[in-house]
Amino acid sequence: MAEPYMIDSDINFIKEIGILGAEDLKKCYQCATCSVACPISPDSHPFPRKEMIAASWGLKDRLVGNADIWLCHNCGDCSTHCPREAKPADVLAALRSYAITDYAVPKKLAKMVNDPKKLPVLLGIPVVLFLALGLILKMFGIHWLNFSPGGDEIAHAKFFSTWLVDLIFIPAFIFAVAVFFIGVKRFLSDIHQNALMEGKTDKEKIDPVGFVQALGRVIPTILKHRKFSECTENRERSTAHMMVLYGFIGLFVVTNIFFVTLYVFQIHGPYSQLNPVKWLANVAGVALVIGGLLMVKSRFDKPDQSTTYKDWSLIGLVLALGLTGMLTEMTRLAGAAGLTYFIYFIHLVFVFCLFVYVPYSKLAHLVYRTLAMTYAEYSNRK
Amino acid sequence: MDKKYGAYICTGCGIGDALDIDALKDVAEEEAWPVKTHPFFCSNEGVDIIKRDIEKGINTVIIGACSRRVNFDVFRFDGCLVDRLNLREQVVWSHPRSQFPPLTEDQKDDGVNFDRLQMLAEDYLRMSMAKMEKVKVPEPYKLDEFTSKILVIGGGVTGMSAALDAAKAGYEVTLVEKEAALGGYAKTLRKQLPMKIPYDSLIPPIVDDLIKKVKADSKITLKTKTEVARLAGQPGDFTVTFKTPGEKIEFDVPYPLPEEMKVDENGKELDQEVLVEKYKEYNKGRVDILTFDPKGEKFGAVVLAAGWRPYKPAAGEFAHLGYGEIADVVSNHQFEQMAASGKLTRPSDGKEAKSVVFVQSPGLGNDQDFEYGGSVLSMVALKHAKYVREYFPEDGKSYIFYQHMRTPGLLENFYKTIQQDPGIFMTKGEVIKVAQNGDGLVIEADNTLLGEKIQVKADLVVLAMGMVPKTVDEPIVNMAYRQGPSFRDIDLFNGYVDSNFICFPYETQRTGIYAAGPIRRTMTIEESLEDATGAALKAIQSLECSEKGKAVHPRSGDVTFPDFFFQRCTQCKRCTQECPFGALDDDEKGTPKPNPTRCRRCGTCMGACPERIIAFADYSPDSVGSMVKSVKVPSSDDYEEPPMRILGLVCENDAYPALDIAGLNRLSYSADVRFIPVRCLGSMNVIWIKDALSQGMDGVFLLGCKHGDDYQCHFMKGSELAEIRVKKIGDALTSLALEEERVAMFQVAIDEYDKLPGIINKFVEEIEAIGPNPFKGF
Repeated sequence: MAEPYMIDSDINFIKEIGILGAEDLKKCYQCATCSVACPISPDSHPFPRKEMIAASWGLKDRLVGNADIWLCHNCGDCSTHCPREAKPADVLAALRSYAITDYAVPKKLAKMVNDPKKLPVLLGIPVVLFLALGLILKMFGIHWLNFSPGGDEIAHAKFFSTWLVDLIFIPAFIFAVAVFFIGVKRFLSDIHQNALMEGKTDKEKIDPVGFVQALGRVIPTILKHRKFSECTENRERSTAHMMVLYGFIGLFVVTNIFFVTLYVFQIHGPYSQLNPVKWLANVAGVALVIGGLLMVKSRFDKPDQSTTYKDWSLIGLVLALGLTGMLTEMTRLAGAAGLTYFIYFIHLVFVFCLFVYVPYSKLAHLVYRTLAMTYAEYSNRK
Repeated sequence: MDKKYGAYICTGCGIGDALDIDALKDVAEEEAWPVKTHPFFCSNEGVDIIKRDIEKGINTVIIGACSRRVNFDVFRFDGCLVDRLNLREQVVWSHPRSQFPPLTEDQKDDGVNFDRLQMLAEDYLRMSMAKMEKVKVPEPYKLDEFTSKILVIGGGVTGMSAALDAAKAGYEVTLVEKEAALGGYAKTLRKQLPMKIPYDSLIPPIVDDLIKKVKADSKITLKTKTEVARLAGQPGDFTVTFKTPGEKIEFDVPYPLPEEMKVDENGKELDQEVLVEKYKEYNKGRVDILTFDPKGEKFGAVVLAAGWRPYKPAAGEFAHLGYGEIADVVSNHQFEQMAASGKLTRPSDGKEAKSVVFVQSPGLGNDQDFEYGGSVLSMVALKHAKYVREYFPEDGKSYIFYQHMRTPGLLENFYKTIQQDPGIFMTKGEVIKVAQNGDGLVIEADNTLLGEKIQVKADLVVLAMGMVPKTVDEPIVNMAYRQGPSFRDIDLFNGYVDSNFICFPYETQRTGIYAAGPIRRTMTIEESLEDATGAALKAIQSLECSEKGKAVHPRSGDVTFPDFFFQRCTQCKRCTQECPFGALDDDEKGTPKPNPTRCRRCGTCMGACPERIIAFADYSPDSVGSMVKSVKVPSSDDYEEPPMRILGLVCENDAYPALDIAGLNRLSYSADVRFIPVRCLGSMNVIWIKDALSQGMDGVFLLGCKHGDDYQCHFMKGSELAEIRVKKIGDALTSLALEEERVAMFQVAIDEYDKLPGIINKFVEEIEAIGPNPFKGF
């Protein structure tokens, strides 16, 4: 018999996740309707019933490092069927939100990302960074920032040199990867410990090869949105999510291709609209905007579901990225030089936000959910 | 009264179609009963026919129509004796002609064939006539002295509320309280459970308001530091002796001899004189119950609201929970006192008790709550959990481990608000162990909703001890009754006073004394208030009925009462002992002294009396015996294969209605059974069984209420007593060379009407298998 589990109730934890959208969690009376209603909960140790009592008892240690909160896709079937309106879906969403902050470093930045009052500061950082770096370089005779780009052809690189852009974005990207790396390392260890404690795994240790193989099996599930489509409530959300996901993937591919084109083949943009890569870029951009708008609609259609600042800020970022990107291109094609350079600048600010703030925002689910699903696959969670 | 007979046979509702009404009329006319028929006797026209005859002098009426359970107000003729001959439900509706065909012209009087249905109807008519010849118009019993004052025992919330309610209804009330001050347990509370919509938060105790109202009420006489030494007499005329608690006086109630003192060393019952001597010695210094205190106060009815006390565990009873061994393990009662005192600290070292674990059940592999628990203790735990949060809003933690969380009705809202508190944690689960852990405690629990064995650190552990009714410790009412000063304990209700008639709250097994509040079962203050009103109204009802000589529940309004023919009494004391209501007090010789207003008219005494000297005006060993004897028992002289004749003695409370419902549903059963309703199977006198068998009937069965743990007998023990009597009769049957199986008893609930045909037909088949009664035809 295992050692008894020592309860350590954290009242503040309950209050904090309450602010993150789980304010009704205490209404739960443990009937387990949620676990039965959930279409994707496993048969053994099903969620979210156990998460509900752990949360109402303030057992932070059993929740933050619990992979199960990430297996949930927030479809809301549980909340619809809950006889007490305890909203298990919102509770798990709040727990995920809490977990993202918990695994992120530095904590201070994480707190800022989740505080609406800090939004101007966060947006101000890239603005200042771009301008300051450009101006400093100018002092050394490097004119990568040019406030009066001339010439017939509008090329955004004339305003912000790609060197300047990448001088900032490549470290930003590496920063995000590093922050994720620190978080993920702890996360994997925690979810494994939790799985061992709760008897949800058949593996003693995480074997890297087996884990990567499991990841290979999980990726098609993610790409096909198989888990999403098992939901009854909110099924239309699957389309929106798919559009945004593929939008991002498409744009990521485009960025990489042009990165290689620029630095390896030394071919500068703007590229022809007939270029198939450009087609992909346009389609992906449109998908991002439409997906984002659909997400806004579905949030408004579901007033029962709690929508927090974290949700809105991510949808806002998606729309901002898509719209500023598309507008930059359209104003450029329209020949509105001043406008297009300005919008491009804004676009760059949002791209910076995407890179640097991703480990602290809801978008971090990209990493954590993928890893949790991979772990579940790896450990044969059924 | 000179009886003038009149029989009225209704031919409606299918009766006329199924029966040969002329033949039926002949049966009555043979006995000189004039008969009238009508197709619709319950119509105005039909009733007028009867009324006109009554005006002309008819005073003994048989109405052959529907069951007496319907149209009872239509066929009520005051001053007349009326019998309702149940031709509809129990004859034609339950015996369709398709199954019980009439005779063809050839078959009539052929010595082979007979019409079972016609025979059934004719027998019932004969039985009715036989009964009407025997019964008398009852005269209600009137008390010589009557008082309408109400005594309320207990000055807590329930008692005060009952007193106020009775006073509001216009009655003089005396409220006695043992302690110096009013208020009872409620006076010691910090806060109280919600009592009003939306039932979601604790309220200040209401007890002070009640105390003010009681003191201001001119109809209420208050006696504090007072208890009842004895209560003698009967409803409407109780004589009560009060005393100061602890005082010893000659009117302290005497106790009956314990069973072990009633027998000699060989286990043989002692002689009456010796018993009386021993009784006097046993109760030295106290006068016998039959001597009334000349200085006693008179009361008409009593409300008992003595309340409860916290459960006191025996040493080591909850050792696994640390109770009695660890200073910081306390009872919910102690916790309430701590919280009310203004300090929530650990008894061991006075440190603030910020983490408190509430244990709702003792565990040890059993999911029962602590004894004398109930929903109240769930809600008290919720209240106490809230106290911790009120004392320490930032970091106070309350854990509740329960097996049952019961919050009836709208108090669910209270549960919901308590549940919303972030510092209150609840789980179903079994607490295995409470142990000292450094200067704090650690609680181990298993089978919780958290999935595995868990441990919780605590400053204080609170056990949900039950609310023990005060009557467990002492009789309180101290009735000067021969059966003893306390309520008769039928070993079913853990010492609670209520007779727990499922359908009849407040009733005790002592007429005129009504229980209210936690003396009856654990209850909240809100429930106690409602209970108090109920008991006060019951007391008032009892007063009004006693004055008019009417029975109270469950034979409400019955004006008959048992009449004793004392010349033939053998002083066997069976009636005194068996009366479920302790209505009889015997004297030194053992002669019963009736107290008619204590009586509920069940007839248990009549059934018990071996000399058959107890009778009611309209119900007696003779009246029923005559009915039995009037059944025509066909023998082989009449038919080649005569039908069986079986007597069914049927409890009129549940079994008889069930038979009616069976008829209403057109369920059919044997037509060879003759039913006689009895007031209670307890009133069944074995002479009726003997009468039936000696006149050639082939079998007898009793149909009564369920007994045992979930008894449904309206008089508690009636069906059980009948079963004992039936078992005893077995030997007598054997000595007559009759099979024991000819007499049986069946238990049915009122809703088991669908089982009746099966029960009846099976018994008839068994009797047919045994064969006809050898006494037939003698």
